[in-house]
Amino acid sequence: MYGSASTHDIPTQAATGLENEDPILLAEFEARIARGEKIEPTDWMPQLYRKQLTRMIEQHAHSEIIGSLPEGTWITRAPGFRRKMAQMAKVQDEVGHAQLLYSAAETLGKTREQMLSDLVNGKSKYSNVFNYPTPTWADSNVISWLIDAGAIVNQMANAKGSYGPYCRALDRICAEEAFHLKYGHDAVVHMATGTPVQRKMMQEALNRWWPAIMTFFGPSDKMSTHTEILMRWKVKMATNDACRQQFLDMYVPKIWEIGLTLPDPNLRKNEDGVWEFSEPDWEDFKRVINGDGPCNAERIAVRRAAEENGAWVRRAMQQPQARYVRPLA
Amino acid sequence: MLFSFDPRISRLELPESAPAPPDKAALDQFPTYEVFHQRKENSAYVYVGPVHAPEADVAFLFGKEQFSRRFPCTGMWVVPTEAIRVTEYGDDLQSVYDRLPLLPADTLAAPDAAGLEAYDIFHLKKRGKAHTHVGQVQAASPETALQAAKAAFGDQRPVVNVWVIRSADLLRSDEDDRDMWTTTPDKKYREAIAYKVQDRIDRFKQEG
Repeated sequence: MYGSASTHDIPTQAATGLENEDPILLAEFEARIARGEKIEPTDWMPQLYRKQLTRMIEQHAHSEIIGSLPEGTWITRAPGFRRKMAQMAKVQDEVGHAQLLYSAAETLGKTREQMLSDLVNGKSKYSNVFNYPTPTWADSNVISWLIDAGAIVNQMANAKGSYGPYCRALDRICAEEAFHLKYGHDAVVHMATGTPVQRKMMQEALNRWWPAIMTFFGPSDKMSTHTEILMRWKVKMATNDACRQQFLDMYVPKIWEIGLTLPDPNLRKNEDGVWEFSEPDWEDFKRVINGDGPCNAERIAVRRAAEENGAWVRRAMQQPQARYVRPLA
Repeated sequence: MLFSFDPRISRLELPESAPAPPDKAALDQFPTYEVFHQRKENSAYVYVGPVHAPEADVAFLFGKEQFSRRFPCTGMWVVPTEAIRVTEYGDDLQSVYDRLPLLPADTLAAPDAAGLEAYDIFHLKKRGKAHTHVGQVQAASPETALQAAKAAFGDQRPVVNVWVIRSADLLRSDEDDRDMWTTTPDKKYREAIAYKVQDRIDRFKQEG
């Protein structure tokens, strides 16, 4: 599981378009959500709800596909047969998650073809952390443990959201994640409590990844009308800051207990139980997500090559009389 | 040429940048099939999700890979999405059967048994949950199958939504192939329980 809490391009200043919606249908829709009932694909929904959910689920799906690339390249180089098998199982899970998520997004009306096109043409984003490289096995371990952990914080919240197909997909995804988290923790503990060389490798990987991890949940939410509406509609279940705090609370102690340090002198929990930290470099974040990161080109090029290499298989299996029907649920 | 920390990617000699490819053509990813699975012997089949596939056999294969790989499974059904007849969705706690328009009596009058076909009926009990198989009815059309389902299963409550599927449209796993669902027991490495690090952490703390 790799999805990060914030969609990377919430139109915070744009109009909500709510004034154009039918007020009676809108009231029924909001009442249903307030009662705790889920929205199903054929229900009436406001344009903003459809648009925001499509973008969010699609981005989550892309993150699973792209996130499996840096871990996937370590399968052949993972130390030992058992780790190769486990790393392979994890990567296979993540790609399966993308399938589930693309299907959930499709029920909102965007075809899989269009989503896959928008990933390689750069119109859709994926979690920005995957624009950074994994130069060592320890870097791959950091993804397995801490990026997955961050994603789990977010996905557990989203699984309580209001859209039926997304909830169904997330229930299944969360069930598989238990293994990923334990596997990642095991790998990091093994290195951190190993030989001095292993320990050093782990610490250096953690130092490289920490700034990216701190941006994983996105910048602090501006409490805009949008955020307020999306939270009322149970599209967004927790603010970016709340997710970040929960993550720090759960994982910083686990990192410290194995003798690793974090490269932020200001990181500490204050008397009110709130984590303080140095503000991440959001300018750099913006630059990288807009294409200028160390691995953006590689990720897209690899995805694109995989698509192109499989094209002849898809062509050979095409049924000329087939017609597209949106999946049901 | 693109340089990567992974030598296998560098060897692909991919261009550093390239103009965006044209958008994919419609159905490049194939039409969808909906998949149902049975988690243990004698339990009802439950909806698990869609797969994209060029034909039913391939859909079954993808469904098996996607939905039975990590969970116990003893059987699987797949059906083309367009073969499912869907009612409207009701509220939680209601039954959509209550809203069913009554068909004229002559359409319900059972034609000779030769004109009847089996239909499988699935109920959604709560929004956000999954459609579950409740049984089969004999009918001459999807519309009359829905009426027959109301007679047979209408007392169940709540029913948020009903799917009606002509039984002949469902591709079902074969009872004789049941051993295809047994997984190798030596895959413990993909279970959370196989990872026990606390001993190692405790030892590290004591030594430190």
